[in-house]
Amino acid sequence: MEKLGGIFNPSSPEMVVMAGLTYYIIAISIGILAIIVVAVTYIVIRYRKGSKDSSEPYQNFGDLRLEIVWTIIPIAIVAVLFQLTCSTMRAVDPPIGDHEPDVVVTGHQWWWEFYYPKSGVLTANELHMPVGERLLLRIESIDVIHDFWVPELGRKIDAIPGHTNYIWIGAGEPGIFLGACAEFCGTQHANMRIRVIAETQEEFNEWQEQELVIPSTPRSGIAAKGAELFQTKACMNCHTIVGTPAAARIGPNLTHLNNRQTIGAGVLTNSPENLTKWLVNPQKYKQGALMPNMKLTDSEVNAIVAYLEALK
Amino acid sequence: MANNKMLIGFFVASESIFFVMLILAYVNFHGTVTDGPTAANSLDPLRTGIFSLFLLASSFSMWLAGRSLVSKNHFMMKIWILVTIILGVLFIYGQASEWMGLIGQNITISRNVFGTTFFTLTGFHGFHVCVGLLMLTILLGLAMFGDFKGPKSDGVECISIYWHFVDGVWIVVYSVIYLWAFF
Amino acid sequence: MSTRIPLVPENIKPLPSLKGNEGMLSWVSSVDHKQIGLMYLMSTLVFFIIGGLEALVIRIQLAQPEFDFISPEVYNQMFTMHGTTMIFFVVMPFLIGVGVYLVPLMIGARDMAFPRLNALSFWLVIFGGILLYYSFLTQSGPSEVGWFAYAPLSEKPFSLNKGPTYWALGLLAVGISSVSSGLNNIVTILTMRVKGMTMRRLPLFVWMILVTSFILIFVIPIIASAFAMMLLDRLLDATFFTPAHGGSAILWQHFFWGFGHPEVYILILPAFGIISEVIPVFSRKPIFGYSFVAGSTVAIGLLSVGVWAHHMFAVGLGNVANAYFSLASMLIAIPTGVKVLNWVATMWGGKIYFATPMLFATAFIIEFVMGGLTGVAIASAPINWVTTDTYFIVAHFHYVLFGGSLFAIFAGVYYWFPKFTGRMMSETLGKWHFWLTVVGFNMTFFIQHFLGVMGMPRRTYTYHDLPYWGSMNLLSTIGAFVLAISVIIFAWNIIWSLKHGKKAPDNPWNAWTLEWYTTSPPAVHNFDLVPPVRGRRPLWDLAHPDQLDEPNSKVV
Repeated sequence: MEKLGGIFNPSSPEMVVMAGLTYYIIAISIGILAIIVVAVTYIVIRYRKGSKDSSEPYQNFGDLRLEIVWTIIPIAIVAVLFQLTCSTMRAVDPPIGDHEPDVVVTGHQWWWEFYYPKSGVLTANELHMPVGERLLLRIESIDVIHDFWVPELGRKIDAIPGHTNYIWIGAGEPGIFLGACAEFCGTQHANMRIRVIAETQEEFNEWQEQELVIPSTPRSGIAAKGAELFQTKACMNCHTIVGTPAAARIGPNLTHLNNRQTIGAGVLTNSPENLTKWLVNPQKYKQGALMPNMKLTDSEVNAIVAYLEALK
Repeated sequence: MANNKMLIGFFVASESIFFVMLILAYVNFHGTVTDGPTAANSLDPLRTGIFSLFLLASSFSMWLAGRSLVSKNHFMMKIWILVTIILGVLFIYGQASEWMGLIGQNITISRNVFGTTFFTLTGFHGFHVCVGLLMLTILLGLAMFGDFKGPKSDGVECISIYWHFVDGVWIVVYSVIYLWAFF
Repeated sequence: MSTRIPLVPENIKPLPSLKGNEGMLSWVSSVDHKQIGLMYLMSTLVFFIIGGLEALVIRIQLAQPEFDFISPEVYNQMFTMHGTTMIFFVVMPFLIGVGVYLVPLMIGARDMAFPRLNALSFWLVIFGGILLYYSFLTQSGPSEVGWFAYAPLSEKPFSLNKGPTYWALGLLAVGISSVSSGLNNIVTILTMRVKGMTMRRLPLFVWMILVTSFILIFVIPIIASAFAMMLLDRLLDATFFTPAHGGSAILWQHFFWGFGHPEVYILILPAFGIISEVIPVFSRKPIFGYSFVAGSTVAIGLLSVGVWAHHMFAVGLGNVANAYFSLASMLIAIPTGVKVLNWVATMWGGKIYFATPMLFATAFIIEFVMGGLTGVAIASAPINWVTTDTYFIVAHFHYVLFGGSLFAIFAGVYYWFPKFTGRMMSETLGKWHFWLTVVGFNMTFFIQHFLGVMGMPRRTYTYHDLPYWGSMNLLSTIGAFVLAISVIIFAWNIIWSLKHGKKAPDNPWNAWTLEWYTTSPPAVHNFDLVPPVRGRRPLWDLAHPDQLDEPNSKVV
């Protein structure tokens, strides 16, 4: 049997607490539901009117003691539930204090920007984090309301324009955790996915160093042509490539696109073939995305793909 | 029949929630404007205050109209309704000229949140005053043709309740917009 | 009374009869509460079918991972229109309409207090529906921002199409209609009860309509003002909800849910009323704990206005606000639980006759408890952080609004159809309808609880082929088609029974409230004579003079 995701695979201390509370309440709910179902089933069998029976049953108007009992029992359940709610909330959402955020997450229609202020890494859609560390994320939005959500690692938190949120997040084990935008944010809300890559501290450091390398611009061959096209074909109006004049942050930073597993915020896996398909017409794979069909010729597409692949 | 008055009573209660929301929107943005027009730097509380007195007075004249109805003084009732209308029109004139002045300084509904909330709140109130004036005019017309001999009339009493409500809303609106900004 | 000079002269001609030969005009010009009630019901059936078709389009698109049936824009339009239609043009007008038909009959009145206002309310719903659906004819189609139209997505520059404008205008029309029906109901119920019908003897359905009406007149203005602000933003470039120009995106959420949560009780309380009428009659017992059922309704009504931000736990309002809204929301479970247990206790010891209305009412209890329990779970902020905006929520509110409101509506239609039309509905088709509904409904929505907690966000037109996602969604889609068949049977049952149904006696279910005293269908003037009301069950008292409900009552 394949492994179920989400709440069935809590992979962070926060998620373990929240999943525990959820299981607990589901268990209580199943108990209450069972009582009602059994009672109704019993009634349906026991008190069904006989076909020849035309007499009226005993006319019972109510019972004050019973009403009091079944008012008090739910009050008790609610009290317990409320206590658990508060303690879980404290565990999941401790005060920020004077912590500086480890990552600034910015929602865009329809992709995520991740900025690591301590190291200066700027990437998109894939959040690297060292296992066992609890990171503080600052959540913002550039346009409409989005919601940052990685089901196996923690809570949802809205990314709201004009309102800053914080969330603690950590992964208890290495692995890739899938997430997505959870607040409807327009046409391509479905394809605004998140990948959290939890790795050992060494792997994380290595990744971070790679991300900080300023790649050299290719000087010869098809890749050089691609570099030139990148500057002339309006790519640079939206994208950044460190070490070149391209420094716009409307679309994702493409400096180390090589390091990423997917393109289009999770629409396609990242490979030269898929990148080629994407550049020929991104609207085919992500209809409504803000990146238009640039109407590039095949040779232009190949040149740009070669350029992006050559950036190391 | 008590039905009509009960209806207008609940209607006014419902309407007051509508105004509460508009006022809450105004309050929510109060003080958030850092540059550009605000209540404190663009409004004239004294001038609007004087025009507000006309509206307050109109509530009083409407009350007198109701008193005349009870005492079956048909002539005075018409006079007091007419006075109410004139005072209401004066208030609307004051508001219209205030708006024209603001718009002349390019302070509009789209300028910033102050403009947005100010014009929305005073605009909806002004709209309610205009509806009231329309009803009062109809009332006066019917009275001219001999309706409402007294001592009771749901028409007069219901419109009177509505008119007092519009007046009461203005007291709150004036306090929130003008007095809060200056005192 | 004689001194009152009406502003508008009274009709001199008698009102057109239900069977009048004046054709369409007798309906369009009608101010009779029964005709208006029936027009409400007929139009909600039409909207129900439209909204159902939109749901099928959604389910087809989700039948398998990365399916390419419709474009993302159309998908987003479909779920927006489905939600809006079902809430504002099916459940709400049905419950208001059935109230308009029944309230005067149940309290022994001739009509509503304000028949013309009543007609205005109905035609405003139709006008609103036309405005909403007219947006299909605009260049870029209807609104695609969801039924809660979060700002700034619903604002310029993110929604430049006309859809949200028509959407807001249409709902504004429905809002005005709802406030006027609420006002009309309140005045009717408070002033037009027949002698002897004290508030403590009011049928529970009327109680629920009364509480709902109070909610309507106090919360619809909240959304009306929010719609006005949204329209000013969209049309005159005001800046209420545009953060880029100093506005606030969160303010819209507070305003919307300030209305939106009480709205949930507007949709369910009259349904509780229907259930509270059906269960006693078919169990042959009076309602258990009348004052607790009525009182808990008032409690729900009061609590409903203080819990809105439980829709906003992910907004980041802080733990103090979250704790308050968690607690307040959980408290609603208490009066709701009291109701459910009273219904069960009413059935206990009865002699239950399982005709179709009772089948739906019995199933209602279980489906609604299911939705209620998940409701308590998601009232807890940490669980809400896990489940909100996922299919768990979709499952939850369908259990409440379909398993709750709609099951009650079906029970009500089968129960009162004989009174409305003078003919019985087919019991055979009714049972088919019932069982297919139960099977289709649970098949469609139960599995969605799992999809939600496994991580499937709602409002996504496509999804990756993650373990079990495809098969679970396919099951849900098949369930939706079972439901579609059940709706066809239901519609066919109505159409067939109108012509060929068995002639209905005045009181086919041997019920006890006043509407069953008059003919089926009632005469234009409702009653020739209203029987004396000496207790909560006038017709029981009439049939059992030796066993009165309130033997010491003084009213004769």
